[in-house]
Amino acid sequence: MEMSLQPQGAVSVLRVGNDRIDAAIAIQFKDRFRDITADVAGPVVLDLGRVTFLDSSGLGAVVAARKLLGPDRALELAALSPAVEKVMQLTRMNTVFPIHDTVADALTAHGVAPAA
Amino acid sequence: MTPEPVTQGDLSPPILGWSQSAIIGATSAEVSRALTGLRGNLIRLGLPEDALIRLELVLAEIMNNIVEHAYAGADSGDMTLEASVHGRAIWCHLRDKGRAMPGGKLPCPRRYDLDAMRMDDLPEGGFGWGLIHDLTQGLSYRRVAEENHVRFRIDLDS
Repeated sequence: MEMSLQPQGAVSVLRVGNDRIDAAIAIQFKDRFRDITADVAGPVVLDLGRVTFLDSSGLGAVVAARKLLGPDRALELAALSPAVEKVMQLTRMNTVFPIHDTVADALTAHGVAPAA
Repeated sequence: MTPEPVTQGDLSPPILGWSQSAIIGATSAEVSRALTGLRGNLIRLGLPEDALIRLELVLAEIMNNIVEHAYAGADSGDMTLEASVHGRAIWCHLRDKGRAMPGGKLPCPRRYDLDAMRMDDLPEGGFGWGLIHDLTQGLSYRRVAEENHVRFRIDLDS
């Protein structure tokens, strides 16, 4: 599971490096997410720009990630591919997660000027 | 929105009659690999992106259901996927030698009222059959000679 954390002001941008979050990797996603966000204080933006496929197991892992952050830290999604967006819409999870077109939009929404 | 498939004449794309059969080991890693390969093949045929998104999602849900339920507790197993394209649809037939579906029927979709849920109660699973039902046409299941057979089609234009 490739995941990297980049602090941008008060926001932490978590970039997923894999192109699929599916049943084969869902558990690793959850474990890696837990480790990498352990010391994060503010909102987390999950950058899904590289992810071209998400199945229900992968979605379950993203929901689990949301719960891991607890009520005091937000989890927002950014840069959804058409396939990922379709799953979010069909399951209505797009009503649960704030979704941004781009990471820059997510940062702007938090009052952070995106790095040029 | 979706790229137009290359067409010959009004209705039939040049992929008319394309078909593929594959035996896939019953592990989530093998399913992942098989779907990546299938996607590559179908993109080269010029099929609409939205149909391929629907197909890959439905296959992932059904095939991982086979891995996790039909072959639950089994040392090994495999499944056969036959896919073909004709009549403006992708036709699929999956069969496996695992356990039968409970009650001999396809599971019903589960629907959640997310608006009424607290964060801690949000579902982390159970979306699969809802997605399968919503994204397919002609979905059927039969148990024949100790084998599960699931058939469906994905209409290219829906």
